[in-house]
Amino acid sequence: MEGPCNILITGATDGIGLLLAKSYAARGHRVLATGRRALDDHRTYFGVERIVYLQADQQEPVRAAKLIAETAQKLGWENIDVAILNAAIGWAGSPDQEPARSVQNQIAINLTAPVCIAAEIAPWLFAQKGKLVLIGSTAVKGQGSFATYAATKAGLDGLARSLRAEWRGRAAVQIIHPGPTQTDMHKKAGMSVGLARRLFMRPKRVVAAIERAVRSRSKRVVVTRSYAFFASKSKEGRL
Amino acid sequence: MTALVTGAANGLGRAIVERLLDAGHDVTAIDREENGLNALAVEYKGALTVCLCDLADPEAIARTVSSLREPAFDLVILNAGISATGRFEEIPPDAYKKLIDINLQAPILLTTALSRDNRVNKGGKLVYISSLSHAVGYPGAAVYAATKDALAIYARSIRKPFKKNGVGVLTVFPGPIRTDHAELHAPPGAKASKRMAPDVLAGLVLKAISSRKTELYPGGAAAMGRFFGRLMPGLATSAMKRAIYDKLDGNTY
Ligand SMILES: NC(=O)c1ccc[n+]([C@@H]2O[C@H](COP(=O)([O-])OP(=O)(O)OC[C@H]3O[C@@H](n4cnc5c(N)ncnc54)[C@H](OP(=O)(O)O)[C@@H]3O)[C@@H](O)[C@H]2O)c1
Repeated sequence: MEGPCNILITGATDGIGLLLAKSYAARGHRVLATGRRALDDHRTYFGVERIVYLQADQQEPVRAAKLIAETAQKLGWENIDVAILNAAIGWAGSPDQEPARSVQNQIAINLTAPVCIAAEIAPWLFAQKGKLVLIGSTAVKGQGSFATYAATKAGLDGLARSLRAEWRGRAAVQIIHPGPTQTDMHKKAGMSVGLARRLFMRPKRVVAAIERAVRSRSKRVVVTRSYAFFASKSKEGRL
Repeated sequence: MTALVTGAANGLGRAIVERLLDAGHDVTAIDREENGLNALAVEYKGALTVCLCDLADPEAIARTVSSLREPAFDLVILNAGISATGRFEEIPPDAYKKLIDINLQAPILLTTALSRDNRVNKGGKLVYISSLSHAVGYPGAAVYAATKDALAIYARSIRKPFKKNGVGVLTVFPGPIRTDHAELHAPPGAKASKRMAPDVLAGLVLKAISSRKTELYPGGAAAMGRFFGRLMPGLATSAMKRAIYDKLDGNTY
């Protein structure tokens, strides 16, 4: 297998997703990047060619999934090599104070949307034994101040487990759980991390680690500091 | 004691309601169908209140909670759940949305709505009905399994913060139950006799509620599944695939 890959990345307007999209595109791959924002000029926004941007707000998961499949069709994509379902939001605070809206939005964006997207793009993944990559979080084991967020990530973890068995021989399914990373996600989640932020991993490192994980055959990867450290030293393959 | 039970018209929920009523407790039952609940309410003369509510609808949940007559509950049993079985990619996205909204979103919304207004009494308990699939995976019901994993981790997440308010959390991981729901989704040829009777399970759940347990794998099959799933997670999921996914004949949702 040579030549550029078709790569779908959701939540590619900020943080980890944005860096992933730019990095894959810079290395010659065709990237379909999605987000909730309306971008006037996505060429300048991404600063690279080969990124097609689609506004697909996952707050409406069924609709977002349909839009993504329609766009893959319109682009004339015959297959998807890698689909990285990365878009997510959080809400931080005491669980008895969590607003209904936040519960609904996190479930729709972080869990229902990836489920619907995976189902819609399955034919493209099956076409050439592509790979579905779900981005979880180390919160997957449970976290008191991120209860619904942790639940959605545990949902993805469970989905990966059962779906991998279902799709054996047709497409790969991988789950990657990054640890705390210096993106704006915490700020958007209403949390001031303060000095603790210094302990978080640098986004560049985490992105290199995710890329390494995607190249590997591991089913489940936890991006710890040491995994990220060694990833930055690992060799690139086709991806 | 005052209790709130969701998914109370059938199966495990119904069995729990009947046991609570027999023990002399006050019960509020939430379900989308009435199915004999009103007859039960007449029989138990006011000890049972029935609320019809579509748990897939967040606004209906908010309305139901604000209209509940009981000011607070000692026991909240979040039991309502649906399933969707079949090949993952053949089940339509709308069915997935509904599945996730009922199995995961509804119990979380009920938890937050009740706890925000201090409507769970000190010393009370929240009970979440997850599934044995949390231990073994469930190819052929991948999204159902995902909702049950998510619910289990939600329950684990809130345990400490709620303990501070004096509220306990119990998660139940039942294996196959002998209900209409299981009948509909079981692979052809599966024996009903291997599934646990709802009333037996209800008894185990109520016993665990009055203990200090935080997790219950009820019965021998669930204990085995948990053990096997922990020891050899990959093998357990492959075994589930052979037992269920490879025998699927069509999709049910
Ligand atoms: N940062 C961490 O510490 C950390 C740790 C573990 C796991 N993760 C996971 O890593 C992934 C990326 O997170 P990040 O740190 O890069 O966060 P981020 O910087 O906030 O990026 C999240 C991306 O998702 C997009 N998004 C949000 N809501 C959306 C919606 N309704 N529809 C479509 N896209 C939407 C965001 O759009 P906008 O640009 O409009 O906000 C953004 O592009 C997430 O799955 C997150 O859970 C992060």
